[in-house]
Amino acid sequence: MRVTNMVPDMQYDMQQSQQALAVAEQQVATGLRVNQPSDDPAAAANMVTSLAESARVDRYTSNASSMLSQMQMADSAISGVETTLNSAITTGTSGANGTNNAADRQGLATQVQGFLSSIISQANTSYQGTYVFGGAASTTPPFVAASTTYTSAHGSTASPLTTTTPLTAGSVTTISDATTGETMTFKAAAGDTIATLQAAVASAVSAGTLSSGATATINAGGQLAIATNSAADGIVVNSDDSVLGPMTAASGTEVANAYAYVGNSTVNTVQVGDSMSVSTNIPGNQLFTSGPNVIGALNGLISALQNGTTEQIGAATTAVSAASTYVSQLRVPLDNTMSQLNSQESYLSQETVTLTTHQTALVGANLADAATSLSQAEIDNQATLASAAKVMPETLLNYLQQG
Amino acid sequence: MASLNSALSVAVHSLDAATGALQVTNNNIANANTPGYTRQVVILQEAAPTVQDGLSTGNGVVLEGYQSVRDELVQTQIQQETQAQSGANAQLASLQQIQPTFTTSSEDIGTQMSALFSSISTLSTDPTNSASQQAVLSAGQNLATAFNTASNALTSQQDGLNTQVTQDVSQINQLTKQIAALNQPLADLKAEGQDGGTVEDQQNQLVLQLSALTSVAVTQSNNGVTLTTGSGTPLVMGSQSYALQTTASSTGTQQVLDQSGNNITTSLTGGDLGGSIQTRDTTISGLLNQLDTLANQFGTAMNAVQTSGFDLNGNAGKNFFTIPTTVAGSAASIKMAITDPSMIASSSDGSAGSNGNLANFSAVETSKLPSGQTPGNAYADLVYQVGSLTSNANAESTATAASLLQLNDQLSSVSGVSIDEESANLITYQQAYEAAARVVTTIQALFTVTMSMGTASAE
Repeated sequence: MRVTNMVPDMQYDMQQSQQALAVAEQQVATGLRVNQPSDDPAAAANMVTSLAESARVDRYTSNASSMLSQMQMADSAISGVETTLNSAITTGTSGANGTNNAADRQGLATQVQGFLSSIISQANTSYQGTYVFGGAASTTPPFVAASTTYTSAHGSTASPLTTTTPLTAGSVTTISDATTGETMTFKAAAGDTIATLQAAVASAVSAGTLSSGATATINAGGQLAIATNSAADGIVVNSDDSVLGPMTAASGTEVANAYAYVGNSTVNTVQVGDSMSVSTNIPGNQLFTSGPNVIGALNGLISALQNGTTEQIGAATTAVSAASTYVSQLRVPLDNTMSQLNSQESYLSQETVTLTTHQTALVGANLADAATSLSQAEIDNQATLASAAKVMPETLLNYLQQG
Repeated sequence: MASLNSALSVAVHSLDAATGALQVTNNNIANANTPGYTRQVVILQEAAPTVQDGLSTGNGVVLEGYQSVRDELVQTQIQQETQAQSGANAQLASLQQIQPTFTTSSEDIGTQMSALFSSISTLSTDPTNSASQQAVLSAGQNLATAFNTASNALTSQQDGLNTQVTQDVSQINQLTKQIAALNQPLADLKAEGQDGGTVEDQQNQLVLQLSALTSVAVTQSNNGVTLTTGSGTPLVMGSQSYALQTTASSTGTQQVLDQSGNNITTSLTGGDLGGSIQTRDTTISGLLNQLDTLANQFGTAMNAVQTSGFDLNGNAGKNFFTIPTTVAGSAASIKMAITDPSMIASSSDGSAGSNGNLANFSAVETSKLPSGQTPGNAYADLVYQVGSLTSNANAESTATAASLLQLNDQLSSVSGVSIDEESANLITYQQAYEAAARVVTTIQALFTVTMSMGTASAE
């Protein structure tokens, strides 16, 4: 073949060699074989799904670790409750001993009252601002000292609230009863008035949610008063209705040793694996006010010590002991979950390693290969340039001039 | 019988031939680097001999003319390869600009989608935490922005290609006009039996430039070249050129019309124009449709979850994203529908601290959309498409460049000027000239001798 001009070929060769050098340099500099999707479309696409998988594993790991801390907090609180209940059982047992006189029993009753308030403070344990036994209502302490009467901030003798006063649609009023351990929730619909609330309270009483005799009335001061009719039945009322204003306990109506659960019974779950979720909480009502009722049992023991017979104290002590067993039983699933979380954490960290290895294999450059390619590309490039430099000046004219 | 006069005439022809050959060599050397120049050779022929008294005497050389050394077949192949290369380059240029948007970074759709689900997961551990709620809103906004950015990267390429189409068409019209204008002079030269030479070189060069813009069918005839587009729309016939026109369609894309106003956009292939149209109407449109579908179906899925739950105030959830009712334009206009952190529908039962509905949000990540893919896989598919299209365009561009180099080598081996060869020719023709001149000198001396025969000085 007749060769007339080698420059275009040399330029092409130089271009190719430069490109190869640039690619090799980029692989060494970034440590990546795939720097953009076109370098390896399939690997780039796999990388997208693999990174999403990594992000999922990361968030499961972080959930598992924060759940674990929260559960440890709950577990130690429950363990504290168990210890306290055991002390109460000891106190009750010694109270049932016929040798004690009334003053001794009174002293023991005071001791048990101390145990009760210690248990309440454990039930109100919070982890990073979240009350762990409040159910889903985790921003406020779940156990609140109860009173017999709550009154609304709004309403006065001059401008009294009436049964026809309309409530704010969408507002929520809750009445938590310490005796029944249940909560009545009233959500005002459009057109609802105080009379509607009164009717709701009445039907909650007949349904057994509230203690019998609980009523909502307009008091002499023109305020809404929600009250029980027994000095032993305590309630806690909350309302966000702007017509009523905040509900507060009437002074001097506090019921001794009565605590209402203002949390809810919602159990939240958090995902810690593609197909693994754990419950994040044990609602306080399940733990302390239902079944062999912890608070109720202690209350029973206090009143038995204060006024009861030896037999009554014995029975009350047995009830506390049943409550203690119940709490211990509830602790078992919690401990199981914690051990599940621990093993899930190690599985997830294993998974992270696997995914990272996979990702490196997908888009990472083998550094030894990359470095070799780079030096090879350098040599090639030098050779290309050197040969071009040698060939380009060669023409017949050079020799003719010499001749 | 041979005479001094006829010998002198032979020598003069020799000088003419050598001068002519030097002229060609000179011109070849001068145009050695002129694009499109085809080397010329001098055509020398033996003059017809004189026969007298049975003796045949040679009459020297005749300068017949100059001939450009062409290879029409290779020339045509170069035109076709140029079309293919320009088409691939047009695609590659656009896709390379699109590609960074779909490369894994802190801002791409895939990363932002993961970030949104991570923020939802964090919120599930503490559903009433306002910082976590705000984080979900921000992550949602970032994802919407990532969709908007990706959509914008695609549509702005389409806009750029619209301008390219208009510019290409105007260049095509200019070139066809110039090519048509050269047809008459070329036909005249050929009618006289002459080589097309410079005019043909010019015309070939213009056709090559036209090939870089669109695919053309070239027919050579005595009236010069006839050009049509690949699909048969006439561009040049004789000295007449037919201009193409552009007009904006209802959607704002530039359409190409032939002389009579017929829309020939879809039939144009090859070259920068064909490549631009294909990239704009097929490649990017396809990607945009995939992106819009993903944005729309993802937004719809998130909205379905959000509206099935309850917000912090116990109200039924309102839409999470605002998306248009049609798929088209979804990626461009998707945005957050809620701005108040308390409006995230975390709760499944209406109680403020419930996180029941957040699990349903998380499930969107691993559930199949109506497209049959999970959102992550749908996005990965899009990344694959962009990567594969870019890589294919790159491969085609590289392959055509190599093949074009080969063809150009082939053409230049036929038509190219070799300086070395011309230098050697120069010496050859120089010597031929010198020798012929020497003959003239000799004959002149002989004339002098002849003229002085019989005079005193003659002895």
